Amino acid sequence: MAVVAIVAVILTFKVYFAESGGSANALAGGPAMLAGAPAQSYPILGLDGKSDSLQHYRGHVVLVNLWASWCAPCRSETPALERLYEVDRARGLVVLGINQGESAGAASDFAVQMKLRYPILLDENQAYGRAYAAIGLPTSIVIDRKGRIVRGIDGELTLAQMSDVVDPALRDGQ
Amino acid sequence: MKFQQSASAPAGAFAATVSIAGIGLVLAQDVFPAWTGFHAWPYAASLTLVAAVVLGAFRGADAAATAALLGTLVIVCAGIGSGLLGPDTEVVARAPGTVAPIPGAAAAAFFPDAGAADIARGDARVLIRRTDGGSFDLGAGDRKYAGATEISLQPHLAAYVEARDAVGRHLTITQPTNPAFLSPVLLFTQNVTVAGKLLPADSFAAPALHREIKVFYFSKSDSQLGRSHGVAGIPSLLFAVDDSDSGKTVPGGIAFVRSGGSANLGGIRLHGTIGSYPAVVISAVPYGPALALGALLVFGGLGVGLWESELRHIVRRA
Repeated sequence: MAVVAIVAVILTFKVYFAESGGSANALAGGPAMLAGAPAQSYPILGLDGKSDSLQHYRGHVVLVNLWASWCAPCRSETPALERLYEVDRARGLVVLGINQGESAGAASDFAVQMKLRYPILLDENQAYGRAYAAIGLPTSIVIDRKGRIVRGIDGELTLAQMSDVVDPALRDGQ
Repeated sequence: MKFQQSASAPAGAFAATVSIAGIGLVLAQDVFPAWTGFHAWPYAASLTLVAAVVLGAFRGADAAATAALLGTLVIVCAGIGSGLLGPDTEVVARAPGTVAPIPGAAAAAFFPDAGAADIARGDARVLIRRTDGGSFDLGAGDRKYAGATEISLQPHLAAYVEARDAVGRHLTITQPTNPAFLSPVLLFTQNVTVAGKLLPADSFAAPALHREIKVFYFSKSDSQLGRSHGVAGIPSLLFAVDDSDSGKTVPGGIAFVRSGGSANLGGIRLHGTIGSYPAVVISAVPYGPALALGALLVFGGLGVGLWESELRHIVRRA
């Protein structure tokens, strides 16, 4: 009987040692954790006042750029984004600038000043920033044609760095 | 049902009483797993004493009593296991749109996006994804078991804040000290003493205007302090606006705002909505299958014991 009791004790305790493991820590921290996950989309307004969302660009490779006009690195990164859009647009790339928290006036002034031609959306509630785990601005997210996140990157990128990330996605499915 | 040959009735009654007390303690942990006392030594010591009494009662017990005692032992061991080896109760409060790992349950909690209306209603649900691929979502008052862990939700004080400049243009809100950099939802994870009262406090920034804003929550009772500002008896927020370059409070930069209200403070218009957002509570619980096995043995033993007793009674009458 004592043996049965000891076995019961060992089996019960074993459960607690087994349950205390786990590997969910891989999910912690920043936009880099999002690779492979389906891209989330929320309806928001464009600069023209019409409703738009990331979902509308399914079938394209999308580089989502989260930005704000007060953010100096966002400002210095913008010419490279515009150049990338010009060069790779014909290959199916969409650069989508999603302004975080500012009104249409501020975003529009910035777009005019920087001569931007890629679409700009207005995310007043900063929902995209939270959904894409932004830990700073700018944050860039590359999404493939199937709507899956290829990579999430925190901070300013050069044109070469942008091309390195979007090229494989553009080649895939062509 | 029979225990020891000598003095069997008192010994059996004592073992039965102690067993019931032990089972009651373990069931209490299953019902109220968040209580910290279940992870303290008196609980483990009490259950160890119960286990010792149960082990002592095995000698001379018949088959039915043995089964009931064994069942009690399994239940008590499950209680000791979760109390001693299970992690302490943890409350995970995270901003909307973020993910928090729950290693104890081999899972992760996905906190949903939330706007001002969601915070005011306080009815957001949290998705729990296990690393084995399973998932479920939790609402207020729901409890789910994942192995030897119970996951539940409790409402956590929250405020949704918005900032506009002097001409009414919406401003980006950031939280440099928070992993959710772009969240306009404040969770008041600190407490600060203001005018002798310990108040929930948080902060955020409006970088476009170089402003940092401290926010203090005044409950219905605490808001008596703000009676000269017309918020007595009304849950309110106290905003204090600092210039982030100088670190000094801007002139006219302090004001009370009731939920849904706004105030102009030193060139920035602030709007706040008070409500709640769920926090995930993770508690160790006695392992369910062990409880089920123990209960089966206890009730099986009691059932057989009663049946044998009834049979003997019938035979005696015949």
